[in-house]
Amino acid sequence: MFENLPLLTLIAVFGLLSVARLYRAFGQRRFLFDAYLGYTWLFFLTFIVSELFSYAVSVWILALVSFWAVREYFSLINIRLQDRLALVGAYLSIPFMYYFIQTEWYGMFIVSIPVYAFLAIPILVAWGGRESEGTVFSIGAIDFGLFLFVFCIGHVGYLLSYSVWMAALLILNVLVCDLAICLVRNRVERPIAKILLSWLAPVPIVLALSLALSPWTEIPPIHSIILALMIPVLVQMGHHAGRFVEADLGIQEDLLVPGRGQILDNLQSLFYAAPVMFHYIRYFLK
Amino acid sequence: MNAPSCISRAAVALHLILLRPFMKLFCGVNVTGRENLEGLEQTIVIANHNSHLDVLLLYYLLPARMICRTHPVADQPYFARSRVLYRLVNFLLIPIWITRGKPDLDHDPFGEIKSAIDSGRSVIIFPEGTRGRPGEMEHFRSGIGRLMAQYPLLPIVPILLTGPDRALPRASALLLPFWNNIIVGPPQKCVGSHREITHQLESVLVDLSRSERACRHKRRSQTVRPARCLAFLGIDGSGKSTASTLAAQRFSESMRVCLVSDELRVFEHGQPRELQPLPSEKLRQRISAYAKTVGSLKQYKIPKLAELLLRDRLLREAGRWYSPDLIVMDGSPLLNLLAWSVLYEQEELDNATCSTALGILSGLTKDISRSDNIFTRFPELARMKRLGLTHLSLPDIVILIDIDSATACRRIEARGQQRQVHETEEKLERLRRAYHQVCEVVRTDWRVPTRILNGGQPLENVMEQVLQFARASLVTKE
Repeated sequence: MFENLPLLTLIAVFGLLSVARLYRAFGQRRFLFDAYLGYTWLFFLTFIVSELFSYAVSVWILALVSFWAVREYFSLINIRLQDRLALVGAYLSIPFMYYFIQTEWYGMFIVSIPVYAFLAIPILVAWGGRESEGTVFSIGAIDFGLFLFVFCIGHVGYLLSYSVWMAALLILNVLVCDLAICLVRNRVERPIAKILLSWLAPVPIVLALSLALSPWTEIPPIHSIILALMIPVLVQMGHHAGRFVEADLGIQEDLLVPGRGQILDNLQSLFYAAPVMFHYIRYFLK
Repeated sequence: MNAPSCISRAAVALHLILLRPFMKLFCGVNVTGRENLEGLEQTIVIANHNSHLDVLLLYYLLPARMICRTHPVADQPYFARSRVLYRLVNFLLIPIWITRGKPDLDHDPFGEIKSAIDSGRSVIIFPEGTRGRPGEMEHFRSGIGRLMAQYPLLPIVPILLTGPDRALPRASALLLPFWNNIIVGPPQKCVGSHREITHQLESVLVDLSRSERACRHKRRSQTVRPARCLAFLGIDGSGKSTASTLAAQRFSESMRVCLVSDELRVFEHGQPRELQPLPSEKLRQRISAYAKTVGSLKQYKIPKLAELLLRDRLLREAGRWYSPDLIVMDGSPLLNLLAWSVLYEQEELDNATCSTALGILSGLTKDISRSDNIFTRFPELARMKRLGLTHLSLPDIVILIDIDSATACRRIEARGQQRQVHETEEKLERLRRAYHQVCEVVRTDWRVPTRILNGGQPLENVMEQVLQFARASLVTKE
C-alpha cells in the first residue's frame, strides 16, 4: 500500500481536478482558480500519463500545449503576410525541441531553440521577405514567441524526466502563487503592500508543500526553503512581464477565451518559474 | 429550375467527423454570438471573404441539422478550372453555381438562388464577390441588395470572419495554424431599394469588424489601395525607358511609385529605394539578356514570350509586396505581346480579332468557346489558355511614344550596342504600325485612356505632355 502512495496521491489530485472541471463545465458557480483549472489539469494529465504509460507520450502532450500557446500568440501579433515561411519554421521547431527532450539529450535540448531555431528564424524571414520594412520586428516577435512558449514550457518536460514529483511540485507551487496574486490583486490598494503580500503570502503554503513532498521529490530541506522563497518572486515577475505583453497584444482581461489570450494568461507564471527552478535543481542536485 | 439536391449524408458526416475537429484542433475556432443563429430555420448568411477557409468556417458554425440544407453561392468558372476541386466542392457543399462578370440579359442571374430559397434552403453569400486583399473588406456588390429586395421577410445573418485571411490568404497554397474568430451579428430584415439594403448590410459588417479589431495587436495601419498602372509603349529607340524613368521620378514626389523597366525599382519622394531582390526578377533579367543576343526572329520568340510573362508576374508581385500607388511600366506585357504577334503574323490583323485576342490574353472575356476560329488561327493562344497563362493585366493608362523608324534606327546606332534581331528599319516600321493598331483597339474597345505623343520632339516637351495627360487620367479614374 505504502509503496504505491506517491502514485495514488497523484491520481487523487488528478481526480479532484477532473471533478472540479466537470463541475465547472455543467454547474454555474465560479471558482477562485477557475482560470487556472484548465492548464493545471492538463499538466497533471501529462504526469499521470508519464507515470502510468510512457514518458514519451507525456512529452508530446506538452508539445501540444506549446503548439496551442504559440498558435495563439502568432494569431495575436501583427505579423506580416510575407513571414509565413518563418512561421512554418517556428512551428517545426516545436517537434525539433521536444524530440531531444524525449530522448533526454540535454546538450541538444538546451541549444535547440536558443541556437538553431533562433538563427533559423532571421534567415527564413529574409528568404520569404519582399520588403525590408518590419524585418526586425518580425524576427523579434517570432523568436520571442519561440523562447517563451516552446523553450520555457519545454523545461517542464525535461524536469519531468528527472522526477514526476519535481514537475508536480513546480505546478502546484505556481498554482498557489497564482491564487495568491489573484486574491491580493483586487483586495489590496497600496502598491508596496501588494507586492510584498503577493510574495510573502504564498511562502508558508509553498514551503509546507515542498517540505511535505520532499521524500518523493528528493529535494533536501535547505533547497526546499530556498525554492519556496524564490518561486513566488519568479511567478510575480512572470505576471508582471506578462501583463505588459498582454496589453500590447490587445488582450482584454474581461475577454479571455482561448485564442484571445487565455492560454498566454495562464502560462505566463511558468515562463520564469519553470526554467529557473529546472536549472537550480540541475545545478545543485544533479 | 430545380432546387439543388440536399447535401448527402456521407458529406454531412464528413463535415461533422473530419472537417469540424480539424478546424477546431488544427486551426482553432472561436465563436461569439452563436445565440443569434438559434431558432432560425431558413436564413441568408452573408460574410466577408478573404480565404477559401471562409466557407468551411461557416459550415463549422451551422447546427448539424442545417448543414444539409445550406448551399454557398460560388463562381463556376473559377472552381471548374480543376476537376478534382470541382467534384470535391460539389460533393461537400453543393454550391449554387453562378458566373461572375457581365450579366446575361435573357437569363436571370438570381434564378437558381431564388429557386433554392423558394424551396426552403439557406444560402451563403459572400457579397464582396471575391476574396479581397488579406484583412480588408471591400465594398459589397449590389447583387445582395437586388436579391434581398425580393425577400423582405427572410432574415439575413451577418457574420464576420477574422483569421482565415492569415491562415490561408489569397495566392498562398499553404495552410498555417492561426486562430479564427467567427462573430455572428444579430439577424437583419431589410426593406428598401437594393442600394439601401446593400449599404445597410455593409455597414453592419463594418461595425462588427470595428468592435472586433479593437482586441488585436496593432503595429501600423496602412491603407492599401490597388495600384494604377501607367504603361509606356513604343518601338526600340523611341525613348520610352527614359520617359518612364523620368515619369516615375516625377510622380514619386507625391506618391509611392514602382517602376517596372529593365530592372524593378521603387521610388519614394523622388528617390529610389533599396529593395530586396525578387527571385523571378533575376530570372527575367537573365532571359532578357539572352533574348538580346539571339540571331533570328524564330529563336527570339520563346525567350521574349517568357520574358513578357515573367514581367507580368513581376507586375503583380510588385503591386502585392511594395504596395505602390502607381506602377509605371516600360512596355506592357499584354500590349507588347499583341503588337509582337502582329509582327510575327505575316498578314495584317483587323481590329476585331485584335480586340478578341486582347480579351482572351487578359482573361477579361470569359465566355469564348474552345472552337472559336481565333484559336485555330493562333494555336499559341489556345496553348497559353490551356497552360493558364491568360491573365495578363491590362494597364489603366497607355501612352505611346511615336517615332519614325529611321530616327529610331539612328538612335539605336548611336547607343553603340549590339543590334537585336528585330532592330531593322523595315521591322521597326511594322512594329510601329502594330503599336498604333493596339492603341486604337485599347482606346475604342476597352475604354482605356490612351495618348499618342510625338517622340521626335525634345524630351522636356514629351515629359510635360506625359505628366499632364497621366495626372488628368488619374483624377478622372478616381
